[in-house]
Amino acid sequence: MKLLVAVKQVAALDEDFEIRADGRDVEADFLIRDVNEWDDYSLEEALKIKEAAASPVEVVAVSVGPEDADEALRKCLAKGADRAIRVWDEAIEGSDSIAIARVLAAVARKESPQMLFAGVQSSDHAFASTGVATAAFLDWPHAAVVANLTYTPGGDTAVFRRELEGGVLHEMQIECPAVLTIQLGINTPRYASLRSIKQAAAKPIEVLSLQDLGIAAPDVGESGSLSRVRRMYIPDKGRAEMIEGDVEEQAARLAQIIKDAIGGAA
Amino acid sequence: MSGILVIAEHRRGELRAAALELVSAAQAAKRGAADKVAVVLIADKPERLMPHVSVGGVDEIVTVKISAHDFDPDALESAVGALIAARKPSLVLIPHSIDSFGYAAALAAKGGFGFATDVFKLGYEGSEDSGQAGLVATRGGYGQKVNVEVDFPGKDTIVLAVRANTFKPPEGVSSPTVTEFTAPPVRSRLSSRSFIEVSSGDDVDMTAAEFILSIGRGIGEQANVERFQELAAAVGATLGCSRPIADAGWLPKSRQVGQSGKTASACKLYVAMGISGAIQHLAGMKHVATIVAVNADAGASIFSVARYGIVGDLFEIADALRTHFEPGS
Amino acid sequence: MDLTRILFEDFAPAAIGLFYVLACAAVATFGYGVYVQVRKYGRGVPVAFSGELLARFKAMLGTVLTHRTIARRDRMAGGAHRLIFYGFLLLFLGTATITLDYDILGPLFGVHFWHGKFYLGFSLVLDVAGVLLTAGLIYMMYRRGWLRPPKLDYARPDRQPADPDYDRSAYRREDWAFLWTLVVIAATGYFLEAARLVWLADKPDIWDTRWWSPAGAVLAEGLRAAGMTNTGGAALRLELWWLHGLLALVFIALIPFTKVKHIFTAAGSLMLRDPLAAQRLPRVPEEEKRVGAQYITDFSWKQLLNLDACTKCGRCHEACPARATGAPLSPRDVILSLREFANKTLSSADLPPEVELDVHGKGPGQVAMETLWACRTCMACVEVCPVAIEHVPVIVQMRRKLVEEGQMDPQLKKTLQTIHKTGNSFGESKRKRAAWTKALPFPVRDARKEPVDVLWFVGDYASFDPRNQKVTQGFASLLHEAGVNYGILYEGESNAGNDVRRVGEEGLYETLAAANVKAMAGAAFKSIVTTDPHSFNTIRNEYPDFGGRYEIQHYTTLVLKLLQEGRVKLARKLGLRVTFHDPCHLGRFNKGYEAPRDILRLLGCELVEMGRCRANSFCCGAGGGRIWIPDPVGADKPAHNRMREAAAIPGLQVYVVSCPKDLTMFEDALKTTGNEGKFVVRELIELLREAIEQEQAAPTPGVVAA
Repeated sequence: MKLLVAVKQVAALDEDFEIRADGRDVEADFLIRDVNEWDDYSLEEALKIKEAAASPVEVVAVSVGPEDADEALRKCLAKGADRAIRVWDEAIEGSDSIAIARVLAAVARKESPQMLFAGVQSSDHAFASTGVATAAFLDWPHAAVVANLTYTPGGDTAVFRRELEGGVLHEMQIECPAVLTIQLGINTPRYASLRSIKQAAAKPIEVLSLQDLGIAAPDVGESGSLSRVRRMYIPDKGRAEMIEGDVEEQAARLAQIIKDAIGGAA
Repeated sequence: MSGILVIAEHRRGELRAAALELVSAAQAAKRGAADKVAVVLIADKPERLMPHVSVGGVDEIVTVKISAHDFDPDALESAVGALIAARKPSLVLIPHSIDSFGYAAALAAKGGFGFATDVFKLGYEGSEDSGQAGLVATRGGYGQKVNVEVDFPGKDTIVLAVRANTFKPPEGVSSPTVTEFTAPPVRSRLSSRSFIEVSSGDDVDMTAAEFILSIGRGIGEQANVERFQELAAAVGATLGCSRPIADAGWLPKSRQVGQSGKTASACKLYVAMGISGAIQHLAGMKHVATIVAVNADAGASIFSVARYGIVGDLFEIADALRTHFEPGS
Repeated sequence: MDLTRILFEDFAPAAIGLFYVLACAAVATFGYGVYVQVRKYGRGVPVAFSGELLARFKAMLGTVLTHRTIARRDRMAGGAHRLIFYGFLLLFLGTATITLDYDILGPLFGVHFWHGKFYLGFSLVLDVAGVLLTAGLIYMMYRRGWLRPPKLDYARPDRQPADPDYDRSAYRREDWAFLWTLVVIAATGYFLEAARLVWLADKPDIWDTRWWSPAGAVLAEGLRAAGMTNTGGAALRLELWWLHGLLALVFIALIPFTKVKHIFTAAGSLMLRDPLAAQRLPRVPEEEKRVGAQYITDFSWKQLLNLDACTKCGRCHEACPARATGAPLSPRDVILSLREFANKTLSSADLPPEVELDVHGKGPGQVAMETLWACRTCMACVEVCPVAIEHVPVIVQMRRKLVEEGQMDPQLKKTLQTIHKTGNSFGESKRKRAAWTKALPFPVRDARKEPVDVLWFVGDYASFDPRNQKVTQGFASLLHEAGVNYGILYEGESNAGNDVRRVGEEGLYETLAAANVKAMAGAAFKSIVTTDPHSFNTIRNEYPDFGGRYEIQHYTTLVLKLLQEGRVKLARKLGLRVTFHDPCHLGRFNKGYEAPRDILRLLGCELVEMGRCRANSFCCGAGGGRIWIPDPVGADKPAHNRMREAAAIPGLQVYVVSCPKDLTMFEDALKTTGNEGKFVVRELIELLREAIEQEQAAPTPGVVAA
């Protein structure tokens, strides 16, 4: 039995970041890398299934990215993933979520897992599409925003609950193998101690190229994508009228705003 | 290649508001009168939804009958895919919603259409490559700290998932023509079982509250919740919160405002304390007429939707604010 | 006749034989008991000791003979124990000399020294020793029976009454049995002596020298006055002889099985004392697969011996800030639980399966995670323990295991991840670490780019906390004005790791320490100064283990020197009535008691000490990573407890601290305990700035009103 978990090394912006000279991304110096928050939950879901299973289950973490994605994979290994795979090739640079999904699908074909988990979205670009697009390339059933899952490894179906707008849950049944995108709060992700991360450094990360996966270079990167970044810019912010002064003055103004608004409503 | 398809979303027999917002988005993307706007109703009883989408700017209603009453991603993907193949529209608009998360990317990936999600601005602009006007969609990046413009070179059909609460629903009514479209049969690999209302924990109705005081991560620890409960009571507000507070169990889920929580529908005044303003939270409150944000971080994105902003220590502000609402003051 | 001790006179040979059989049995039982205990300790992890054995022995002997650690902060108990100790020691030596004379030197070499004047002198000494012993025992009974200090009621904060190991009455019974046994042995000894005198009253050489045994003589006079005859005395002597002898043998046999063993275990524990037990935590060997203490056998044999040294005196229980504020932790109960656990699992010939050795949990003898997480690692327990039990490393080693399994507060988890990601606990960008320098009218040197005399290690709180930034800027101005050639590491500095290590996240600590050592290796400086006692401690005591050996001082000693050299000039005396809070990591950890007090005197402040000061200072509650763990809603906090103590000082104007975390904790506690407006909390640096600045523009707020 095998569960494949797709993880992404995301980037958050440092203070006072600058846009790259070509205007299409942020200067790399200002990017702070970390594992995508949603992926912590999807890995945890896989590990929980593994630990509860009667028969052996292998959890394989996969990431598409350059060498710094190893950090994300090492955290997965530290938490208990059995193997880690990283796919990279210069040609992948500039891929959108759909092109990344094409690569993930190739890895899934190679690994033939019983289930593939991904995060609902990534905390940097929030496409919310990689997992479901991967399913499309595999022609697998797919479901998004899974907040609760009942699945026995090897089972023909799984029962899950989607978390809808307004907090209502929608319970559905899906045929397996399938791709599920996992929502925050489905479980409590475990802690990877620094020691376990360091020990995981000794475990191998399988690095695959496009050739290994039988993908042609034009199928990834900008040519393999469904969209292209044209420009990135810092939006005009601070539409809010800032209330200055000391705490007392600020609070007094806020009190006035509240009293005016309540008065108006009444 | 012309025409705009708007995929109307419905749930449990009711049309969702986002459908109408997309009609307005379609108006913004129209290149001329020839670009017809067709609203697509894919449902077990599409005709029941027709009156709700006969609004200003709609040229046509396309009904597609499917067997599933509730969300069926396989049926939706197949129906929209067949419709695109038949009509070759230039643009397909879908709400960026939980439902579309479940099928839009699969649709685009299989069809090879131009595709972008969470779009809040769209229009045609001259392209440097060809000199021809191409569609440019704008979305957020890096936790909404930057705006990202994307284009779709070489794509004849573009599928965009549009952010909710971005476009105002159109006014007026219309008498669109109605077309029936027969979708090819599809074997669905998912089945709906039930809807579960999450037990609220308390009986507050955030959607009905007119004055909400909402707290977020900035309050630091659970011990501080009580202070804000008292403050909310003192100023006469309903206490709400952002996702982390509800996930931590510090307040019941029923008090969570945002995409996966409640929408502050009736709210006139929203005071956000210690909420940085994740897009998911903004989805539930940014429409409120008067938003006041109190945050220690001057760069918090909440200030971009707030009418008034206070940068400072929320505990100090909270304490000072309370003195204005003490009996006799 | 030559005077000597009457031993077996009038005994049938069989009786003498029986006595020797019993004595041998007692010694054999004792020996077996010792074997079982040693086997138990041997199941711990081997540990190497630094320092000469002889030096360690001498240090132990000094502590034992002076009773320094027992008398500290409890003079009456210390005095009584001293009486018992010396009384017991003399009686033991006396008995040993008899054995030497009667059973060894006599039979083997025909040498006897136990006679004549030597005998009489010793007789007097032993009689006096018996009185000392009895007096000490009686005081202890009075203390337990009438004074009943709460620390001796053994109430457990870490258990509920329904829990199987809640009841500690067995310990109370053992305490009383111990006292009574010794009292009865002493009393039967005296009456035995008296009966012997009555029996032999008609032998002038014995009767006439009776006052060399004054207590026995008084009792003998009494017995005779009550009408006891020679034969009556002989009969009583025989009975008491057996009673006394058997009691003594039973006592000896039971030493390894009862609290009496503290005679040995406490001495051993004192000999193995690590003077930096809490200041420098043990490293985890690189090759170690498992981290921290999960099983009882994961503790070192020294720690297992520590467990047995505890006499339940309750001083750690009393000193613990977590216990004092109702948290489910008493250092004493951690030690006793583990001891009970070790005795249960490690006393038989075979080691039970691993699952039965797990010390984590809520079962009998196990330690719950709530208990471990309640610890502030303030070292009050280690410091006060009279027998050198080192609680802090035990707790941290157990926490390491919890951290490995992620069994910790979500906020702590988040903070550790934040520190890993950004190098600071505030989750701020590395680039912002030195943002506080921007408000200064002068530049601060980048020690990575130019050599400096003094490298200032700023630390997280002083760098990022807005309130503390003002203090940090004040200290920068002070250094600048004093003409000190100093610099900082800017974004090269990371969280020092002191508290990360005390949380039990050893891997993260190693990463942080290595990063700072590397950053400092890239800077040229002569010595380090810091305003943060936590950073001070770990750089001073723990970085050497990671290849970072520096001369480092807390700012108080540097500032005192600058004041004394006249490089910092004071414009005026402050004339404030202040009290000083010793930060754990400056005071107890590193004995920096004097410099801040000397500075306060130079500032013209009237220093009024709190009851708990210097080594006995009371933790603010932030240590051991507790600043990253929310306190339970509504619970009392150590900082509240401390504010109430300070508030009791009449006319107090300023509560002076010299630690960034203290400033945060106590300013908050000042408000929440309703003492705002009565006095203020100030960093010593702030008072210095006030005294330095010419104009009286910024007097300490609130002080004017007070």
